[in-house]
Amino acid sequence: MKLIFEKSIKGRDGYSLPRDLFEDVKTEECLPEYAIGKDKKLLSEISEVDVVRHFTKLSKLNYGLDDGFYPLGSCTMKYNPKINEKLASLSNFVYAHPLAPEETVQGCLEIVYNLNKLLCEVTGMDEYTMAPAAGAHGELTGNLIIRKYFVDRGDIRHKMLIPDSAHGTNPASAAMAGFQVVEVKSNEKGTVDLKKLAELMDEDTVGLMLTNPNTVGLYDEGIEEIEKIVHGKGGLLYYDGANLNASLGIIRPGDAGFDVVHLNLHKTFSTPHGGGGPGAGVIGVKKDLIPYLPTPNVAFDSERKKYYLLDAGEKSIGMVRAFWSNFSVLLKTYAWILSMGPDGLYNTSEMSIINANYLLAKLKKYYAPAYDRYCGHECTVTGREYKKYGVKTLDIAKRLMDYGMHPPTIYFPHFEPYAEETIMVEPTESESKEMLDKFVDIMIKISDEARTNPELLTTAPHITPIRRTNDALAVKRAILTYDDELKLKDELNYQEKDINF
Amino acid sequence: MTNKVIENLYYTKSDEWLKVEDNIGIIGITDYAQDQLGDIVYLEKVKIDKKLKQGENLTTIESVKAVSDVNAPVAGEIIEVNEKLLDDASIINKDPYGEGWIAKIKIENKDELKNLMSAQEYSEYRKE
Amino acid sequence: MRYIPNTEEQKKEMLKEIGVSSFEELIKIIPQSLRLKERLNIPEAISESELEDKIHHIAQKNSNFFLMKPLVGAGAYRHYIPEAEKFLLQREEFWTCYTPYQPELSQGTLQSIFEYQSYISRLTKMEVIIPSIYDAASATAEAALMSLRLTHKNKIIVSNLLHPHYRETLKTYLAPHEPEIIELPYNNGLVDIKKLKTLIEEDVAAVIIQSPNFFGGIENVTKISEIVHSKSALLINVITESMSLGILKTPGEMGADIVAGNAQSFGMDLNYGGPYNAYLATKKEYIRQLPGRIVGETVDVDGKRVFVMTMRAREQDIRREKATSNICTNHNLNVIAANIYLSLMGTEGIYQLSLLNTKLAHYLEKLLLKSGKFEKVFNYPFYNEFLLKSKEDMSTLNKKLLENNFIPPLKICEFYQADNLKNVLLFAVTETLSRDDLNKAAKILSE
Repeated sequence: MKLIFEKSIKGRDGYSLPRDLFEDVKTEECLPEYAIGKDKKLLSEISEVDVVRHFTKLSKLNYGLDDGFYPLGSCTMKYNPKINEKLASLSNFVYAHPLAPEETVQGCLEIVYNLNKLLCEVTGMDEYTMAPAAGAHGELTGNLIIRKYFVDRGDIRHKMLIPDSAHGTNPASAAMAGFQVVEVKSNEKGTVDLKKLAELMDEDTVGLMLTNPNTVGLYDEGIEEIEKIVHGKGGLLYYDGANLNASLGIIRPGDAGFDVVHLNLHKTFSTPHGGGGPGAGVIGVKKDLIPYLPTPNVAFDSERKKYYLLDAGEKSIGMVRAFWSNFSVLLKTYAWILSMGPDGLYNTSEMSIINANYLLAKLKKYYAPAYDRYCGHECTVTGREYKKYGVKTLDIAKRLMDYGMHPPTIYFPHFEPYAEETIMVEPTESESKEMLDKFVDIMIKISDEARTNPELLTTAPHITPIRRTNDALAVKRAILTYDDELKLKDELNYQEKDINF
Repeated sequence: MTNKVIENLYYTKSDEWLKVEDNIGIIGITDYAQDQLGDIVYLEKVKIDKKLKQGENLTTIESVKAVSDVNAPVAGEIIEVNEKLLDDASIINKDPYGEGWIAKIKIENKDELKNLMSAQEYSEYRKE
Repeated sequence: MRYIPNTEEQKKEMLKEIGVSSFEELIKIIPQSLRLKERLNIPEAISESELEDKIHHIAQKNSNFFLMKPLVGAGAYRHYIPEAEKFLLQREEFWTCYTPYQPELSQGTLQSIFEYQSYISRLTKMEVIIPSIYDAASATAEAALMSLRLTHKNKIIVSNLLHPHYRETLKTYLAPHEPEIIELPYNNGLVDIKKLKTLIEEDVAAVIIQSPNFFGGIENVTKISEIVHSKSALLINVITESMSLGILKTPGEMGADIVAGNAQSFGMDLNYGGPYNAYLATKKEYIRQLPGRIVGETVDVDGKRVFVMTMRAREQDIRREKATSNICTNHNLNVIAANIYLSLMGTEGIYQLSLLNTKLAHYLEKLLLKSGKFEKVFNYPFYNEFLLKSKEDMSTLNKKLLENNFIPPLKICEFYQADNLKNVLLFAVTETLSRDDLNKAAKILSE
């Protein structure tokens, strides 16, 4: 589709400025010579109606959650309730300046304070910080808290244990916090190898980061033993809450012995994904770690009946962002929890687990599971079977698009012995049985096509707005702005049909 | 999956090959390795004069979907680097044993060659 | 069940298909000792109308902020957001979709990001743009870490006029890497250039300044970059008010090596502090050290021009502990918001609005000085924020301002403890205040 720049025509405008442009104030009297820009920055000149048409058309090239099933694993693409969006757009919240006096933002502070209490109860932790803006941000915050805890005790430890099945953000976060990442291999069953864990856990290790159920959707039956091994050597347990949708009302990480927990509010707690955020990666800790939480916290003065921002104290790791939190995300989370209540949360997990196991049961005849056992809220099957027809798991995923479905997660996770050529599906509780049946039917059709007409898959997708992309060329050419494209105009030699579709 | 090997080269467990000419070694990655990586797009610059131990990291190869370390098959000093790869790293995909050579190393200790595999051994090692 | 379509009937069918007689069989692997024996102790579910009622009541405990004009900025600026932007942003295809890993289904998101990268590139005159880090504080920290990786040095000089929250965040992120952090003091409201000349050494990785700085002062970035480059250090230029880019000289022209900018002014509401968004802008030669997602242009099998996430080998899912950063989900929807905003404002709009903001601020400053109740603390050129010392006690004035629907300016002593900054206020002005508003505010403040 044409770029916005290609629609620009001199003299067009899409804005409305105040009538009073303060002509009586001279520019030279405001700004120093050394800082005034010589020329205007050339952006684009487009009328409002053309901007609206441009982005309306662009949006139709996207597939959204309200269009259909998003069977992605570990992303928890569940329905985003519309009432929560409306509430987050209330003007008393939207126009609240973060540095407005505390007495003017009692509503905001009350929501943050109450959400803290709710999340503590749901997960069995003692206190939450709402500062982190995403899961990875939370992982970094959690790792920094763990680091400070040990530094404070004069017990300097260098290593963090991370399962080979872990999401890439785990080792990346641990490395950012200055730890040496030590990988713990999974066993035949797809969960943490307890023997290897016991060998690796020592007094130079701060602890273990664990996702439970793990990234292939399996609950770790060794969870109690894991807790003993890690705590036994004075380490701390970190819970990656990306898969919390399998545990609500069933088991709480706090009860299982985890010391630090991060939650992905844009996953488990229904806030919209926005094409890659914003979400929030709030961190919950046990009592001993509260002093290390980022500053400030929200506290309540029971005498004056006022909420206020409280400095976290000198043991705090400091700040991990400016201001306080992704407030609108917190508000939507709060609204969702209130809408669900205790039964709703339990039903969420129960249905997610039933949905995932239903898919597993129906798919496994055609796609061998990575690990053949009941799964949590997501199931992992593989496309290994179809390699002999020259069909890769990637081709299966691309063919799904021709049936109007978004592909599941592919090639992640990737760990021995059986998690390879993986297709990971997390239906969430939002999907109906009919949708799951439809998905299964399509997957079965595709497995037939793999056998009888593999080329259909290897050249898929066919009916999407654009087809398979040349990713190697993207890296090689490195066209990252419109100006980059203009520099290569002659070499690129685009035809009208290449741009205008 | 391809796994072509050339006779008379030495091979490592981390998928590098070494061609020995007197006490100079030419280093590259195997056909199996380039196939696993997919479309190679970038090679990190290798420093001339860099001294390496056997197995120490020499450079990193980047493809669209993966990254792979290239390690020195034997200890020595880097004396020459294949400049062509800086413009077009995909040569490694097209001709991993020929034009896709990565660096030349002055071999410190020929005894270390004992630790490497022959073409036959490597072919077995990487058989699917 | 709320938001859960399947009925009890269907549940039974599905359990049968799975081959179990009850749900318990599916989770029996979870140790009984760890299971919740009781329902969660949280409030019972409420209906949609009850929820709406409840949240509205809580909202009432906030001031009626729509009507309140902010005289404070300090990293968060209220600008008018065209309704067309909000309308377009709420299209579910932008609002609810997933990260664009499948480009065939995400050209809307990917092309928008590419357009935004192009806009920021022109506004900053930098070659490569990372469109989304959570906020400018974390972006500053990422830029600092990047400079350590690029230079292999371990010392960073940080201006004391970098936003206090950003300085805190920087310290937090840098703590595990233990570089030496040297404070660069200010003089007369701007970076102390003389001091910088003595502090800059060959072992400095980067110098971090903010312009316009926390006091609103416009730094002489060209001069600063000459000094920084004389010892082959990198200049990191932080921007909290990106609206300033409309009228000011670009960081690129002035010699910045990395720019970390708060994009909030481009179409994001205040939302009590977040979510906002930040961009990182730098030279092409540094691209492999950049954190975060970037979108590039390529073709598909039919030769169509398409957009994809690219340079992925830097990221955590491929590099794991060797990644340039752990960042995964960012603030993508705000990138789309900013792209739409910049498309609506365009060349003229951004230029005119940027100019208007500084004129408004200077107008207010003059009024306040004229009243005799305020005096200048320092003498420095400013963009849309400035410091003034009040001769009166601020608490009574604040109360009056609030009663008249103004959010009061920031008491600078909350962040800076110097004696000469007692009773000093940091004012900010944007186009949300009219001439009448400014006259009114000045009147209240000078009574």
